[in-house]
Amino acid sequence: MANWIKIAQVGQVDEDESLAIEVDGKQLALHHTEGEYFVTDNVCTHQYALLSDGYIEDGCVECPLHQAQFDLRTGKAMCAPATVDIQTYEVKTEGEDILVAL
Amino acid sequence: MSAVSSILVIGAGQAAAVAVATLRDQGYQGRITVVGDEAHAPYERPPLSKAVLAAVEAEEPGISVKEEDFFSARDIDLRLGTEVVSLNPVAGQALLSDGSAVAYDRCLLATGGTARQLPGLSPDAPQVHYLRTLDDARRLRNALRKARSAVIIGAGFLGLEIASTARGMGVDVSIVETASRVLARVVPDAFSTWLQARVAASGATLYLGQSINDLQLPADAVRVSLSDGSVLDADLVVVAVGLTPATDLARSAGLQLNAANGGIEVDTQCRSSDPRIFAAGDCTSQHHEGHGALRLESWQNANEQARIAACAMLDADAPPAAFPWFWTDQFECNIQMLGLPRAGLQYVLRGGMDPADASPKFIMLGLEGSIPRHALAVNAGGDLRALRPVLERGLEVDAAGFRDTSATMKAYAKALLASAVG
Repeated sequence: MANWIKIAQVGQVDEDESLAIEVDGKQLALHHTEGEYFVTDNVCTHQYALLSDGYIEDGCVECPLHQAQFDLRTGKAMCAPATVDIQTYEVKTEGEDILVAL
Repeated sequence: MSAVSSILVIGAGQAAAVAVATLRDQGYQGRITVVGDEAHAPYERPPLSKAVLAAVEAEEPGISVKEEDFFSARDIDLRLGTEVVSLNPVAGQALLSDGSAVAYDRCLLATGGTARQLPGLSPDAPQVHYLRTLDDARRLRNALRKARSAVIIGAGFLGLEIASTARGMGVDVSIVETASRVLARVVPDAFSTWLQARVAASGATLYLGQSINDLQLPADAVRVSLSDGSVLDADLVVVAVGLTPATDLARSAGLQLNAANGGIEVDTQCRSSDPRIFAAGDCTSQHHEGHGALRLESWQNANEQARIAACAMLDADAPPAAFPWFWTDQFECNIQMLGLPRAGLQYVLRGGMDPADASPKFIMLGLEGSIPRHALAVNAGGDLRALRPVLERGLEVDAAGFRDTSATMKAYAKALLASAVG
């Protein structure tokens, strides 16, 4: 059974923006793009940096430090310097609440 | 053009790895031989002055460009610890130090360069260090672990990164620079002043505008006498005064070299003056609109030229080169540059550049009239990324709007792009 945890409210994160959140000691990022929400690990797999400070384009989040890109849907590392994928998490909205499955 | 069935890559660094990956991604199924004089498979150089240098030996970070089985899995003949001793462009053949010969239809020179040496500072002396290779980094790391003090000659990107890492390891650091400010060729005065304050706050001492009058290498020590009379005594010296491009093979093969910067001249397709020989990365000189011939020593340039050269070797179209981008991590700041500096730019500041700020965040945008040409970002990579299309397209920027932090950089850039479309 997925453990659904409320992490934010609809409207709290603008389009093409991200929010850093901490759940159960995990650093996660909530991303909002093309009308959808995505939750990923927030720390880049290349070097310590928060993806929530990065840039969203074409369904990917780009790390602010060295421009590594990760697919928001799959977590796949799309370009150098990152070679290791990030984890992604299931998201849903219930009314005004955004929930993540951990 | 006749079909290409044999490609030789000379050098086994970042550009070589990206080039051969691109060749296979493009569907090329012919022979690929990569010859590198180092013992290591292609690795990323940016961490050498940072994470690799700071690491304890057992926890050195992995820096390979490609996973371990990449070369065998993609049928690439990787010959490490081997040098190309001669290149015959007429025959299309190279002779290697192991006595073998490799014939090629296309050749890529990805030879990089070597640390420029200063007279009197032979790298064979145990207390003298240069930093270009992984082996150099390991040797310097071992020395820094034991050292109490170090003199670093050169306050360019590499010298400052080494200084930052050495300070983090608890080493007393003195930095000697002939120019009157750090990074003088690439950043405006105000940025140098800010960074110098940051360097000083770390406990390192900068000696600017100094030439070296005398150098002594007593046992296990160095003594450097400067033009202002200062005498610096330290356990070791690191020389970081630039790169000499590795062009011996290119020269002997009769390829055109740039008289000013010494690089192998290549066109927009990274083709040298010999139609079958291409070059990519630190060893090249390429024309940049508005700047003339440049030798760009950057991770991005190695990647971009390698990708473009690989496509051109196969007569395939390559997407155009990315806008120049560079980063350095030092003194607890991530500093990024977008575009290239040029004379006469007026820099406008967004954010605060108080040197005492523990976690500064600002962007300096270099304007030519109202057109942005060059940007420097400190801990603001996401904002700089948002600004990138504005620089790429040369859109007019109003200084007041750029400075206004009540709007996010993303929102500001979006608005500029939207009004440019209309």
